[in-house]
Amino acid sequence: MASPRLLAALLVPLAAGCATRDLSESWILDRLRVLAVRPEPAEPRPGDTLALSALVVGPGQDLQAVLWLACQDDALGVQGCELDPKVLASLEGLETATPEEIAALYASLVEAGLIGVEPWIPPTYTVPPDILDGLDPAARLEGLNLWIQVTAIPEDASSDADLELAFKRVPVSEAQTPNHNPNISGLQVDGIEVPPGAVLELDRGQPYSFVPVLEKGSVESYRYLNQDGVWEDRTEEPWFLWYVEEGDLTTPWSLWPHPVQEWTPPATPSFDHQTLWVVVADRRGGMGWWTQPVHIR
Amino acid sequence: MLALCLLLGLLVPCAALAEGTDAPTPALDEPLPILQEPVLLDFVQAPYPPEALAMGMEGTVHLAIEVDADGAVVSVEVIAPAGHGFDEAALEAARSFRFSPALDASGPVPVIVEFAYGFVLDSASRPGARPEAQEVPEADAPVNLEIRLREMGTRRPLAGFQVEGEGFTGLTDDEGWARFQGVPPGTWTLRAARGGFDPVERSVEILANQVTTLDLWVRNPSYRDDEIVGVYQRRQEEVTRRTLTVEQVRRVPGTFGDPIRVIQSLPGAARSPFSTGMLVIRGANPEDSAVYVDGVRIPFIYHLDGMLSVVNADLVESVDYLPGGYGVRYGRSMGGVVDVRTQHTFPEDHVAHWTTDILHSGGLVEGRAGPGDRWGYAIGARRSYIDVFIPLFTKGSGYVVQPRWYDYQVKVERLELAHGRFSFFLFGFRDRIDVSTPDDVAQGPDRDAQGDLGAIYGTHRLAVSWQRDLSDDWALEIVPSLGVDLADGSVSGSMDGRETQWLLELRAEAPWTPSDHLTVRPGLDFIGGRYDFEVGLPFDPSMMGDYDPLGEREPYALSDSGWVWGPGVFLEADVRPLADPDRLRLTPGLRMDDVRITGGFHDLAWEPRLGLGFRPVPRTLLKASAGLYHQPPLPMEMYRPDGEVDLVHERAVSATVGVEQEVGQAFRVEVEGFHKTLDDLIVFAREMTSMDDPYFFNAGVGRVYGAEVMLRRDPVGPLYGWLSYTLSRSERRDWPSEDWYPFEFDQTHILVAVGGWRLPRDFELSTRIQYVTGNPTTPYAGGVYDVDQAYYWSYSTAPRNSERLPDYFAVDLKVEKLLTFRTWQLALYVDLLNVVRGVNPEFVIYNYDYTESAYVRGLPFIPNPGFSAKVHF
Repeated sequence: MASPRLLAALLVPLAAGCATRDLSESWILDRLRVLAVRPEPAEPRPGDTLALSALVVGPGQDLQAVLWLACQDDALGVQGCELDPKVLASLEGLETATPEEIAALYASLVEAGLIGVEPWIPPTYTVPPDILDGLDPAARLEGLNLWIQVTAIPEDASSDADLELAFKRVPVSEAQTPNHNPNISGLQVDGIEVPPGAVLELDRGQPYSFVPVLEKGSVESYRYLNQDGVWEDRTEEPWFLWYVEEGDLTTPWSLWPHPVQEWTPPATPSFDHQTLWVVVADRRGGMGWWTQPVHIR
Repeated sequence: MLALCLLLGLLVPCAALAEGTDAPTPALDEPLPILQEPVLLDFVQAPYPPEALAMGMEGTVHLAIEVDADGAVVSVEVIAPAGHGFDEAALEAARSFRFSPALDASGPVPVIVEFAYGFVLDSASRPGARPEAQEVPEADAPVNLEIRLREMGTRRPLAGFQVEGEGFTGLTDDEGWARFQGVPPGTWTLRAARGGFDPVERSVEILANQVTTLDLWVRNPSYRDDEIVGVYQRRQEEVTRRTLTVEQVRRVPGTFGDPIRVIQSLPGAARSPFSTGMLVIRGANPEDSAVYVDGVRIPFIYHLDGMLSVVNADLVESVDYLPGGYGVRYGRSMGGVVDVRTQHTFPEDHVAHWTTDILHSGGLVEGRAGPGDRWGYAIGARRSYIDVFIPLFTKGSGYVVQPRWYDYQVKVERLELAHGRFSFFLFGFRDRIDVSTPDDVAQGPDRDAQGDLGAIYGTHRLAVSWQRDLSDDWALEIVPSLGVDLADGSVSGSMDGRETQWLLELRAEAPWTPSDHLTVRPGLDFIGGRYDFEVGLPFDPSMMGDYDPLGEREPYALSDSGWVWGPGVFLEADVRPLADPDRLRLTPGLRMDDVRITGGFHDLAWEPRLGLGFRPVPRTLLKASAGLYHQPPLPMEMYRPDGEVDLVHERAVSATVGVEQEVGQAFRVEVEGFHKTLDDLIVFAREMTSMDDPYFFNAGVGRVYGAEVMLRRDPVGPLYGWLSYTLSRSERRDWPSEDWYPFEFDQTHILVAVGGWRLPRDFELSTRIQYVTGNPTTPYAGGVYDVDQAYYWSYSTAPRNSERLPDYFAVDLKVEKLLTFRTWQLALYVDLLNVVRGVNPEFVIYNYDYTESAYVRGLPFIPNPGFSAKVHF
């Protein structure tokens, strides 16, 4: 019966206001989170080497490590890239392993897709040169995705439930106009641009409007060969995600060309020095972010 | 002394409920509505009980009189005694009554009539009366006093009233007139009385050589009797059919006055979330149950908001609810059947109905028209306006939800045909829901999910019904109908779709009843039509198999059309082999459906079914049924861009066994066990690599079993109600390699108590109490963040539907007051939903990363005030 199903779908947002308890909001950063992953370059060609970075935030939590994996579709599971079970089994005796055994284990992990362990091994990945082999010329322009798995491990992790898992696609192609990461160069607060490195002074309980300032060229125009074989000129339409530690946001996201956001700092903040984060994504795989320290008066 | 033994026969047609006589069984299997009410032909006056006379008492005895198909009284029972000798006197007199037979489309049928036998003292016998010397009217003089008695609120002429002055008396005739000759000039006090009505006294001035005409309006202190107390046709026994008369159920709290919604309070029907009225009958999917209006199948029975059905309540005559084990007349469904029948009796004057509550307003006008008033008509329309109120509760939420709907009904029927009935029925509805959002407020990061959402759904049907008696033992009924279902929806302008489906249906039955021991019913049930749909998407759906949020999107248009062709034939026999045809009844039947749908579906379904009813003693019925049921795929399950589907009918093997026991005249108990095995259930493909792969397979199986108990007090006297309990289990397994899991609406215990109490001065209080096991739910253990979509994908470490929501408990109340004026009536009511104000979780919601959860509360306390008016003109 279609109508009750449709009704149920429509009721979900309505019903959220009728919940028996308040649930945490995605834009309040009160736990360890992976907010963004940025490959450089954003759209590599076969054989290129990627440098990867992530915006991992955990207010009040110490980070033990960030584990990076890379894989292609054939190793993709429900939670992103999956390690070979044999490799996982070999980790059981890690405490008593000899240096040679640890070296061999690390080699097997690299073979299985490990590309970095921060803060010790910065994540890098060289795209297989033959990754696009077998695709026709038009498909090579469109490319295919690599998968990057990020696992943030807090200092006090005691079970898998304490880990924060995230995955990201990285398009690999021979596009004529390959994508570049967008960059946020600053913020405008109530129409005034905040100087780089400045700490924002905001009044508690007062609403402020924020507009992210993108570096020139962040909103790219590019060419795309559509399914009819016709080249189209397109322009990116990035979206922005906003995160704070306390206070109220009107919505968790804003869209180009209306990137404005309103944040009301808490009337009674738990601590005076807080942070606001903005993440930008260009919908083609490119990402960037801005971290803004705030002093709430 | 003159004892005035007055009467009130309440002859409202209701449907099949009663049983327990040795009279011949109605010829038709289906309990047909009463076409002609029984009329009391011979009234026997009871002597006024000496004890009551000595005490100067008056009284009314309520009797249940069982009348056979010849109009003879079979038995009489007191259901509301008056004592003081009234009961014995009324019983003795009523045993000698004689009625005209009640008639349905099959001919005379046995019925039970509730009868109020009133004892009213005349003025001379009244305590404190004193004889007065008055001039007596002259018997040979012309008529000079005419009095007409009519009932307030209905303008109904009141026959059989005793009208008396000082020294003269008379009875009103069928038109309500009492005429007197030669009443001497002067001021006279007139008194009119009849059992069951408030007596009226009025002074009248008689002038010499003039005729005085007087209208007297008499108030019926209990108008509800006319509606609730009724005539119950004998129950037909082959299946579990719970027939509801409209007035029985319109006052059940929580139904918004909609008789169809009361199904939710009957055994076998699961509770639907937020009282949306979703039909989940005996553990079947909502789409597995079939809905008919006057034999015409429609896709939905409720409007989009789920609160009201699509048929105007004032037009509904009865609702048949068949949870399972039904005969071969119904096909192409594996779940239950709801068969709504609209009225086919029309008032002699014109009557307008109007209803207004917080959800909707609507009206209906009915009556007779044309030469000789030989055409009955009913025209109705309703419109909801909840779209006006919802925005008040969603301020600041970033969206505005506005559901609204209308429906209409036009019915015209030729009356007084010698050998049958002929009618046209045009009806339909259109539902629309809009969800609008401000342009500068993002609705998630996906650019194609921005903007407004709109959906429209409409159904329209034109049906012609023709019934004719071909001979004394052979009848024919043909119901052709033409209709269209329309759907149109859009999301943000980048996704839209529309579908049009024209349907031609033809139902024909020719029951042949050569004797009291056999009825053979051949029938045709055809459905055919054409469908067209168009879908516009912002991306190629071939991406869905391997969705890439970073992929370049290109607008995609999809359209298709096809035909549905489904002739079905059935043959059913009703065999009553014993000398007493009521004792044993066998109903074997065979149905064949040949369904073809463009896209590669062609399947022939054979459905043998058998019903059994055995009555070891007159008030006990043992019953059982077994049969096969099939259901073709839904249109969406037929879709495949390239290639054809490889599907067959879904199938159910059903068996039931039960017993019904009458207890007194007013109580009955029903117990029934059921078991259903489902196979070839259509399930979605687990692994798809491209759009060319089939989407759906007949890989699922299911099992449903349980028992239902219903204790019902028929609406005789001031109390009515029922207690319904269902114990059941419904499970599914989608693929052979997977585990069984509880069905989404599996509710182990469903207990519903409904009760009503008709109070003096036309007040009525009713209540509904529900206790239901919580629905199954699948717990989530956490989520993995998809950075490119800014979305957490949930994962579960527990089996599907392995947990349950807390149990549901709700109490609803309704209070109604009926006001009666000369030519109209006004019912004021307030429906109080969930007065206990329990939490009653309907489902679980999670936070963004599935690490926290909360329950979504059910409906809060909702007071729904409203009124309904009924005007005679």
